[in-house]
Amino acid sequence: MKRSSSKTGSVAHALACATLSTSAGLAGAQPQAAASSASAAAGGPVVYRLDPDHTFVTFEVRHFGTSTLRGRIGPVPGEVQIDRVARSGDLRLRIPVGTVDTGMRVLDARLKEPDLLSVAANPEAYFIATNFRFDAQGNVQEARGEFILRGVSEPLSLIARRFGCRIDERLRREVCGGDFEGDLKRGRFGASYGEPFVSDDVHLVVQVEGIAR
Amino acid sequence: MKKMPALLAAVAALGLAGAAFAEPATYTLEPNHTFVTFEIGHFNTSTNRGRFDKKEGTVTIDRAAKTGKLDVTLDTTSLNTGVAQFTKHLNSDEILDTAKFPTAEFHGDKFTFSGDKVTEIAGNLTLHGKTNPVTLKAVNFNCYNSPLLKKEVCGGDFETTIQRGQYGVNYGANYGFPDNVHLIIQVEAIKQ
Repeated sequence: MKRSSSKTGSVAHALACATLSTSAGLAGAQPQAAASSASAAAGGPVVYRLDPDHTFVTFEVRHFGTSTLRGRIGPVPGEVQIDRVARSGDLRLRIPVGTVDTGMRVLDARLKEPDLLSVAANPEAYFIATNFRFDAQGNVQEARGEFILRGVSEPLSLIARRFGCRIDERLRREVCGGDFEGDLKRGRFGASYGEPFVSDDVHLVVQVEGIAR
Repeated sequence: MKKMPALLAAVAALGLAGAAFAEPATYTLEPNHTFVTFEIGHFNTSTNRGRFDKKEGTVTIDRAAKTGKLDVTLDTTSLNTGVAQFTKHLNSDEILDTAKFPTAEFHGDKFTFSGDKVTEIAGNLTLHGKTNPVTLKAVNFNCYNSPLLKKEVCGGDFETTIQRGQYGVNYGANYGFPDNVHLIIQVEAIKQ
């Protein structure tokens, strides 16, 4: 995959990156897939549908080195496959960046412009991760993959600050989820407008819950 | 004798500078960079967040005397979680009852400083018609000259944890919804 900062700014490029990343990820995940079928009796892969009431991305940037400006994107739809016994996972998310909500309409409109989120040309960002790390109890600790924003792909790691599974009494299904955090530099995606007054560093705070299918 | 006027001038200048610095400065909250976000745990799994979009207030800071005063009013009906059903439920009489209590207020009058920087603001929070003491702790604090406004702007990030039961907001406590609510406050205020 080309990790250049060359801005093609096209959905086609983003999808091409996504496809490449997915096939590379699947190839890398082959041994884990074999292990997962061996342990399918004990666990096996489970597909969780992301809960739109509890799946949001909040970004944080520093404003004039003083306060933290936040925006919320979501809900993020999609599915995540996790095998807690084989300790493998697979997620491919389409993130609707046009839902950005900072509480300030003028800023929301500015963020959608071509030099920032470029929503018209790139209505979705993507996060594709097949490299999962689990703790001894089978809880997800980290999901590593590629984040594609404005058609530019960069590696991204989301670290779990909290992760848990429960049987939801109302849904009568298993629900897994947690809070994840990650960091990126927006300039690498070609979205450097407003630097240095607004930081290049972007901190991501992700709420996620998925309902077992 | 010739030296006296110079010395006097120097003393006067120092005095003036000191007076200017000691004078309490009043700042008006800048609503585009002032938000209160709450965080509450959801079934020990993830964290639910919501934000109050409308607010107003003023801050007075006297950095020489190390004193200050903060008065903020939040429009509780401006709550925004991104989930319409959740926002509606929070507004209902089961939780914040915003029809009956459309505002929340914080009045802080005990400022703690480290050098020029505010590190803590202690005061009283009125929410859901009940008042309790709350201390906001600064995670960041800074002042800068805004090139857009051509004025000094001070602000930062503050945090605190409140117990919602103390405000008579007990919904779901018996099914494990936490009592603790974490508040994250972004604030910037423009010198008047």
